[in-house]
Amino acid sequence: MLELGPLALNLALVLAVYAIVISLAGVWRARRDFVASGEHAALAVWGCVVVAAAMLLHALVIHDFRIEYVAAYSSSTLPLYYAVAALWGGQKGSLLFWLLILSSISAVVLLQNRDKNRELMPWVTATLMTVSAFFLLLLNFITPPFELLAVPAKEGRDLNPLLQNYWMTIHPPSLYMGFVGMSVPFAFAIASLATGRLGDVWIRTTRRWTLFAWFFLSLGNLFGALWAYEVLGWGGYWAWDPVENAAFMPWLTGTAYLHSVMIQEKKNMLKVWNMVLVILTFALTIFGTFLTRSGVISSVHSFTQSGLGPFFLIFLAIVLTIAIGLLIWRLPLLRSENELDSLLSRESAFLFNNLLFVGIAFAVFWGTMFPVISEWVRGVKITVGPPFFNKVNAPLGLAVLFLMGVGPVIAWRRATWAHLKKSFLWPVGLGAVAGVVALVWSRNYWAVVAFSLIAFVLATIVAEFWRGMRARQVMMGESAPLALWRLTAKNRRRYGGYVIHLAIVMIFLAITGTSLFRLEKQVTLNPGERFAIGEYTLQYNGLEDRDTPHVAYLMANIGVFRGDAQIDTLRPEKRFYKKPEQPTTEVAIRSSLGTDLYLVLGSYDEETHMATILAYVNPLIGFLYWGGITLAIGTAIVIWPAPVAAREPAYAAGRAEEGAKS
Amino acid sequence: MNRSLKFVIGACLLVVAIGYLMAAGLQTSSTYYFTIAEFLPRQHELGEQPVRLAGRVHEGSLRKQTSAKGTEMTFTVGDFQGPGHETAPGQVPVAYTGVVPDMFAEGRDVIIEGKLVNGTLMAQSVMTSCPSKYEAKPGEGGPDAAQQEAQR
Repeated sequence: MLELGPLALNLALVLAVYAIVISLAGVWRARRDFVASGEHAALAVWGCVVVAAAMLLHALVIHDFRIEYVAAYSSSTLPLYYAVAALWGGQKGSLLFWLLILSSISAVVLLQNRDKNRELMPWVTATLMTVSAFFLLLLNFITPPFELLAVPAKEGRDLNPLLQNYWMTIHPPSLYMGFVGMSVPFAFAIASLATGRLGDVWIRTTRRWTLFAWFFLSLGNLFGALWAYEVLGWGGYWAWDPVENAAFMPWLTGTAYLHSVMIQEKKNMLKVWNMVLVILTFALTIFGTFLTRSGVISSVHSFTQSGLGPFFLIFLAIVLTIAIGLLIWRLPLLRSENELDSLLSRESAFLFNNLLFVGIAFAVFWGTMFPVISEWVRGVKITVGPPFFNKVNAPLGLAVLFLMGVGPVIAWRRATWAHLKKSFLWPVGLGAVAGVVALVWSRNYWAVVAFSLIAFVLATIVAEFWRGMRARQVMMGESAPLALWRLTAKNRRRYGGYVIHLAIVMIFLAITGTSLFRLEKQVTLNPGERFAIGEYTLQYNGLEDRDTPHVAYLMANIGVFRGDAQIDTLRPEKRFYKKPEQPTTEVAIRSSLGTDLYLVLGSYDEETHMATILAYVNPLIGFLYWGGITLAIGTAIVIWPAPVAAREPAYAAGRAEEGAKS
Repeated sequence: MNRSLKFVIGACLLVVAIGYLMAAGLQTSSTYYFTIAEFLPRQHELGEQPVRLAGRVHEGSLRKQTSAKGTEMTFTVGDFQGPGHETAPGQVPVAYTGVVPDMFAEGRDVIIEGKLVNGTLMAQSVMTSCPSKYEAKPGEGGPDAAQQEAQR
């Protein structure tokens, strides 16, 4: 039984290499049977990887401590769902998990396109299998997950306590789905560059996949932020750490791509730019993996030096060389068929949105890599902290927010003054009102800009729904809710997109509230003493403890008062996991109306029971959660398959275009 | 031509703005990053400039006292490669008042931000390695790890 896992990985590597070779041979010799064979091999790779992952999962669940990975990341008292999560809790398992997602996605893509895109598919197979083969090389030779201990361990070292949290079961999988999903548009981009079929077939084929990947990348980033917020106990949710930046950069370029692709579909422009964005996004997912596993950036996250770094760097270099080479070769075919007309147009709003996203990505990249860059240039490592990222990204982020209000409403080609006035009078007015209110209430200029932009964008979104709904009511005689429903159902891309924008506005609201109006206090108290923060008065009543076989708890009992009335009791804790003998902090949060009171038991004196309490008030942070939920709803609307009748014309058009080219 | 010129100018302005923001950001928030071994020879030329130091907390050096001001602690930090612990030459004494991460303990690798005042690093913040990437190195992961090492 134990040999089955490694065997499956060996076989998968052989099959993946075979799939690459036979697919390319199929192109070269124009042999359909070769191409089909390559696809079958890719499906077999998927089968093998499923077997390997199932074997490791099985070993984790039955606590097979003969396997080094199982002994290192689980224990016999670990609850089942964390034993499953241990599959991605460590380096080796997470690479296998990554490959599992990649090969599954590849299999679905191949099955989806059995009868479509025949010219592109051998290249798609070859590209996806090249990525798979890279991970299989690592899993077979560098980080074998099924490595056995010389002497089986009696007990495992257990999963790191900080990872024993429900976010852990969903944050890494969604991030990986996002990272890996970006391979699909990349594979199709390579295929269309290689074949010279540079119409928008590849874009339409991968539109859902890109959205799928973008959605999971967004959720992965959000889950990571919430995990940090609820688990790490420093009162915030985003610290611009290299690991966070690694996941944020592909999100930025991916978001830019989702927007610029619309310009290519509508106007046949920005073809080269779109190619660049897809390649960049994919490269950044690999680069992110490299960052988090190589130890090249010494950060708070002192990564294990696993020797994986150079392999990722070499792979990245190969990917970029091939992709950019193909792109340069095809440059003459990628000429834009249209030109930009006016600065005041939707095209121009999209263009500047793209520049901003890429600019933010570059600034994040620069800040993250600055220690390395400064060491090359000056021989001294210089790090930049969160202030750098906040200073650069706050204005750029607000500019993006502004364009989010402008872009969807402004006219294509050239906006006239009358049209501008009609579309933006109300939103600008509301934005101004919000700005004045913010000025009077807070006297903070950042707040004025942020809140007036938020109100402005909100108003444009509401106005769009309103206009569409009114039109249907008048034309079709529908009731308001029905009109709203049908309007959205019939234009899913457009109105789903607005819902996603609404989600982003909410997230901006949360960011504004927490970065400008957050309260923070650190006090050391004897039992019975009180202190005030914001509208709350907090009374420390002393320490309580509780014991279970897996964990021991120590809690500070804190009464929460508003005025003289007690409204709640919070118990921030320290947990002492028995296995790795490591304490962890468990924060206590009281949410009301989107504002959190967030308490941390910092330290305590066992004899005097004196305790240090960290208290934070985080205004509007609840919108981070609401934003996440709204984002999911919006993406569901966009991605939901349209009824067949509505889909047919686009599909037929795709066929016609294919026919015309061949 | 005139039209595309407008866009080129617009894009250039944007790029310049981003460049300016980055340059301004770098000036205000960059900090030297050293390991203890790199830091020691330069400590005098650096004076009281803020630094980030990476090192390992010496065994037996941690002293704590909790009062109404918080938990005041002192410890010494040495280089990772240092063979011994307390007696290893080249160490930096650290003073810190506040809350440390859960992973903080003697023998752990830390990153400390602060500035050197009269030979003592007055720490602003103390960080330890990230939990998600933290993998116990042999001999460092508690009794089980030590036991496994012995069995190998």
